[in-house]
Amino acid sequence: MLLSFLPRRPAARGATILLTSLLALAGCGGGSSDSDAKASTVEVKAGDKSCEVATASLPAGTHRFAVTNTGSQITEVYVYGEGDRIVGEVEDVGPGTSRDLTVELAAGNYQVACKPGMQGTGIRSALTVSAGAASSPTS
Amino acid sequence: MFQNFLPNYLIGLREGLEAALVVGILVAYLVKTGNRDRLPPIWGGVGAAVAMSLAFGAALTFTAASMSFEAQEAFGGTLSIVAVGFVTWMVFWMRRAARFLKAELHGKLDAALAVGTGALVLTAFLAVGREGLETALFLWSAISSTGGSTAGPILGAALGLGTAVLLGHLLYRRAVTLNLARFFTWTGVGLVVVAAGVLAYGVHDLQEAGILPGLDNLAFDVSAQVPASSWYGTLLKGVLNFSPAMTWLELATWVAYLVPVLYLFLRRPRPATAPAPAAATGQPEAVRVRAEPASRPE
Repeated sequence: MLLSFLPRRPAARGATILLTSLLALAGCGGGSSDSDAKASTVEVKAGDKSCEVATASLPAGTHRFAVTNTGSQITEVYVYGEGDRIVGEVEDVGPGTSRDLTVELAAGNYQVACKPGMQGTGIRSALTVSAGAASSPTS
Repeated sequence: MFQNFLPNYLIGLREGLEAALVVGILVAYLVKTGNRDRLPPIWGGVGAAVAMSLAFGAALTFTAASMSFEAQEAFGGTLSIVAVGFVTWMVFWMRRAARFLKAELHGKLDAALAVGTGALVLTAFLAVGREGLETALFLWSAISSTGGSTAGPILGAALGLGTAVLLGHLLYRRAVTLNLARFFTWTGVGLVVVAAGVLAYGVHDLQEAGILPGLDNLAFDVSAQVPASSWYGTLLKGVLNFSPAMTWLELATWVAYLVPVLYLFLRRPRPATAPAPAAATGQPEAVRVRAEPASRPE
């Protein structure tokens, strides 16, 4: 019965298979183990005029930023690498809600930017990522 | 208790609007061409997209599973481009089927529609699923929101999405009352304009992922005049995918898609080999056999 939904033309059928594969890939597009997640969660409190990041230095590795919108405007949070290259972002964070942003950070200098109202260059704070394995957890 | 309602309402409205309009037009088209029996698969496609988005979103929100930024943007950007391909196909398929319908070539119409149902279901699926994951993430975060105002975000989100569905329904109601010529023209034009916006935003996603260059070359920035969080900014974004700041590549993509496709869609069809070619150009009551096409539909 499912097959009756597949289009008959080869091109459309191919597109269907492509789409299904994309979805499957998305499902496998990432993942981290539970033990990693707990140790490397960084709280980010994004307000209307403030952007508090729990820490200014991190060891290299995968980190989860837990963004909470404490302001009254829709906000977005970006993690920028050198030259404002976007390393991670979370958009459309409504006031009073929290969203997670997971990024893989290699050693280097980064900036965390909160953009209340989803415009402008944002309120920025520096973040230094040092090479080597994680020593002490954040906070 | 209800603080933070409005901004979350606007996000919900914006996220749902485009899909609601596309599905509304799709449903109107099937009803208008006397194919209500093909509606259940369409709803199946919509339901599948909703269910999958909610499931993915829940996995990403409540478990340690994560999707890298590049994967998210590449997924969203690619899905947008695929969706535009389907909508474009659908617009021209509707145009072709319209000619058969108006020339009362029901045999050919049935054949055209039969080939189309699977692709229509996919188009509905893509229209909802394209933004579905982002919307699901937003919904789950509103449901589990922290802080004192726990009801505001989820109420806002739910009512925003509900408003979008209502607007899609109202569009459907209005569209089916149009005469055939106007209906086909306006729904087609509407879909092409929406598709142009989707394509431009897909390009934006790929620029953010670094797959395409030019993220910082802004063509314009009217964020001060049209804030993304205003109601007019919300409607512009929800319907046209108009962002207050767009890059040159986005703008070029938008124009490069919109102009040729609109031209191809609106131009008079060449005299067809089927009898009564003039009937295809918008005069439902006149089935005349003439060499040159009649005037364009309004």
